[in-house]
Amino acid sequence: MSAFRTFAVSLTIPDNEAFTALETLGRLGILVGRIVRADIWQFDADDSAAQDLASTIASIETIHNPNKHRLAERQSDRPASGEVWIASRDEAPARLVAGRSIPGVRGIRRRTAWRLLDDSGRDVAPAALDRAVEMFLCNPAFQVAIKT
Amino acid sequence: MSTARVAVVVFPGTNSEDETLRAVLAVGLDGELVHWSQPEKLARFDAFILPGGFAYEDRIRAGAVAAHDAVIDPVIDAAQAGKYVLGICNGAQMLAEAGLVPGTAPLRRPTAAFAPNASGRFQSVHVHVKLVVAPERVPILSGIEAGAVIPAWASHGDGRLAAPADELGRIERDGHLAFIYCDRDGNAVSAPNGAALDCAALVNREGNVLAIMPHPERDAWTYQHLDASRDAARGNTQATLAPSGGIKLFEHFARAVRESVPA
Repeated sequence: MSAFRTFAVSLTIPDNEAFTALETLGRLGILVGRIVRADIWQFDADDSAAQDLASTIASIETIHNPNKHRLAERQSDRPASGEVWIASRDEAPARLVAGRSIPGVRGIRRRTAWRLLDDSGRDVAPAALDRAVEMFLCNPAFQVAIKT
Repeated sequence: MSTARVAVVVFPGTNSEDETLRAVLAVGLDGELVHWSQPEKLARFDAFILPGGFAYEDRIRAGAVAAHDAVIDPVIDAAQAGKYVLGICNGAQMLAEAGLVPGTAPLRRPTAAFAPNASGRFQSVHVHVKLVVAPERVPILSGIEAGAVIPAWASHGDGRLAAPADELGRIERDGHLAFIYCDRDGNAVSAPNGAALDCAALVNREGNVLAIMPHPERDAWTYQHLDASRDAARGNTQATLAPSGGIKLFEHFARAVRESVPA
């Protein structure tokens, strides 16, 4: 038996990439108050490994550096409402992270989660998120946007 | 004949501007570095080179932020007016993200990408690339001979041509596949990065925009070559410092740019 587990890793320090995305979207006429970005890590793990998976990956610095990252397990393997995940279209599940295998883990997938907020901290309108994806966040030549 | 002026456009994170400018000057062009904060300067140039590096730290995707930068707008306008635009490595990624190559869809609607290498790693390897379109398809390389082989250094983490199958078919059928990877004798070899079609460079329909992933400017002087010519030149400063190898691409580019400038 195996278990599929999803974790979000976000920065606790200022997120320069999110800021750059915000600036670029502004140039494209998509006005956003704030962007929340996270790396999504999905693991297909043996039952035996799944039990300790959170503490295992929390100790792998290339995924989670406690000095600058926050690690949170997601209850769903799909994006939350208002969020979009960008993934490589032709991505095959990896077995290694930074050249290392994780005992009991059969496959690893990585996505980037984007959430666009307005000035009052609410999700932007779905049409604005769609435009951001189409015009900038996703290159459909090799990426796919995954929504709720 | 007036001197043709070439802008080498520098973004925050560009790292190949000096050797690119050096190659431009070596082939007799008048070149200048133009920084991203100076888009107004670009109007007075006859041709443009987007050099290699990691513009904006490759944030979001390699080349994506730069492709939407204000300094790219005049470059796109110039390309559409028929001026020559050469993108090398990170510059090639920008041209794909801007939709200038292969150029089969509206601007900034990319249909192809130089995506992460199949290995998942940054790779630095000496390569040769071979022209696989008719020379008439690449006026940006005026006078280049059919099947020309050029040495270069491939040095990138995101150099794998990726596109949907129908777009790859269009790229191949309609002559957008400009260079493929090959050995020193011109025999086709697999792309080191897993690129579709073993693509090393794309060209637009008009042939005035070329996006090449490997760096010819890093193999443009005899001391940089990975073959016997370097050893043979050892001890002879003039021969060691002579332009050769990858400079060939710049020589044809220079010829094209000069021919495009009214006397």
